[in-house]
Amino acid sequence: MRYIRLFILILIPLIIMACNRGKNNPGYDYLGSHDMYYTKFYKAYAPNPILKDSMTNQLPVEGTVARGKMPFPYQGSTLPERAVNQSKASKEWMNPVTVSDEVIAAGKWHYQMFCSTCHGVAGKGDGYLYTSKLFLAKPTSLVESYVQGKPDGEIYYVITYGSISGLMGPHGSQILPADRWNIIYYVRELAKK
Amino acid sequence: MIIKGFVSRNPWKLQGFFVIFLFLSSLLFSLPSFSQTAETETNFAICKACHTIGGGKLVGPDLKGVTEKYDEAWLVKFIQNSQALIDAGDPAAIKVWEENSKIPMPPNPQLNEEQVKDIILYIKNDGKIAASEIAAGEDETKTPDEVQVEETDAHKLLAEMKQEDARHMKTTFIVMIILIFISLFDLIVTKIVKWRWIHTIIILISLTIGGEVIFVEATSLGRQQYYQPDQPIWFSHKVHSGQNQIECEYCHFTADKSMHAGIPPVQVCLNCHNQVKEGKITGTEEIAKIHDSYNNGKPIEWVKVHNLPDHVYFNHAQHVNIGQLECEECHGMVEEMDQVIQVEDLSMRWCIDCHRITEVQFASNRFYDHYKQLHALIEKGEKSSVKVVDIGGEDCQKCHY
Repeated sequence: MRYIRLFILILIPLIIMACNRGKNNPGYDYLGSHDMYYTKFYKAYAPNPILKDSMTNQLPVEGTVARGKMPFPYQGSTLPERAVNQSKASKEWMNPVTVSDEVIAAGKWHYQMFCSTCHGVAGKGDGYLYTSKLFLAKPTSLVESYVQGKPDGEIYYVITYGSISGLMGPHGSQILPADRWNIIYYVRELAKK
Repeated sequence: MIIKGFVSRNPWKLQGFFVIFLFLSSLLFSLPSFSQTAETETNFAICKACHTIGGGKLVGPDLKGVTEKYDEAWLVKFIQNSQALIDAGDPAAIKVWEENSKIPMPPNPQLNEEQVKDIILYIKNDGKIAASEIAAGEDETKTPDEVQVEETDAHKLLAEMKQEDARHMKTTFIVMIILIFISLFDLIVTKIVKWRWIHTIIILISLTIGGEVIFVEATSLGRQQYYQPDQPIWFSHKVHSGQNQIECEYCHFTADKSMHAGIPPVQVCLNCHNQVKEGKITGTEEIAKIHDSYNNGKPIEWVKVHNLPDHVYFNHAQHVNIGQLECEECHGMVEEMDQVIQVEDLSMRWCIDCHRITEVQFASNRFYDHYKQLHALIEKGEKSSVKVVDIGGEDCQKCHY
């Protein structure tokens, strides 16, 4: 009888300590939050109990201009407004980047990362998403006169805020301004081939 | 036999087929002779961004009834190049243009006259014939994907086994403890088995395996290898990165600029999903969650998979941009995962091991010009390549500060 009691006394703590982990269980850590393992600051993307909308990542205050960034003053909320702004940008917004081999190379990298899935590696509007019928609308060919005839400012506008038709979404959050100009130079280069 | 099996397994399919057949034949009698193809649906997708058929005004006017309002030849001209008609001073065209806030309809020079007529027919029928044809076509294209799923290789199986083992440590441990106690009990109290070497062997084996489990569990304290949490949306990297061949950095676009690889904002999802509203696996249910989040401004609460303790500093930009590492070198074959799992243990040894063998792009990066001693060594021929260790990849304060 004494042995059985001893058996149970030792086994129970061992069962509790051993860990059968489900896939949702990240496991255990030594001392955890008491150590320097998990400190108390709020991580990017984590919820935040102090701020009003309970997010740690906050949008910049409206009208903020980041250091070294040029504000792009053509945003429009409604469609007619955007159509007007697009034609305005095409006339007023000039390309500040001068073309060089480095610019073309950077443009190529960004083009293949962000544009080629729809517009195709050669820019003919035959990207994989369209040819495999996953995205039904035909992307515009970038090497034909319709796009090539547009000024840089208008292409920049479409990359930033998307097309008026809504088929191309805004890519302004994904691509930095300088990289948008690089992409435009690369697209011009593609048309020459 | 075959027909019987077919009917009992899926009776609706056959009925549906008859319905479509009847529908098609009834339409064929009422329409002009040239046939309509699935291509029309594809061509109309461009129009669908601004127009609906009977669904109200979007950017452009509702197209229902437009075929009765204008004659066909005028519509063909307008669809191919509306701006040319307006410039030519066509009164009907100018009226339409002015009614719609003077937003020009983009020209469609890629469509020939036959294709435009197809589209007009499609509008007349409220977009129905081509819709059924495209649905049939999609079923056929599914098969190669299914074949791909069935393909498994030994390497993958081994990894899966390892992962299963890691999740059942507790059971193994308890079985070993019970074995030890049973043999001890028999050895001292009941004495059923007379050969004592059997007890000894069982105890020794159990102690070894139990010890191994304790060792593995103790070293994995604070690590999360094989952590695979359920996410709020059934999002599959296998579909997006594997099947659709979208680059990792299309969505995780800060990986080469920031410490964090970045979780894409919902806006990025909408770049495709404002058109693609139905998935092949989950239907509309999961994609609706994205639209819900976008419309209500409520962030999606993704569960972070790869966690490092706070006393370690890790920077994605350094590794992706300067180190030129591929994503899968640390994250495993994400493009084959429906649900992301942490394949590496992210231990310090794992970091250091890689730093010891990885070569630095020494010549091409101007930053490394400052390492004059190393450059001298290379010129003398005493060093053939520079590893991360040589530029401080083993220093404590490089990652812990």
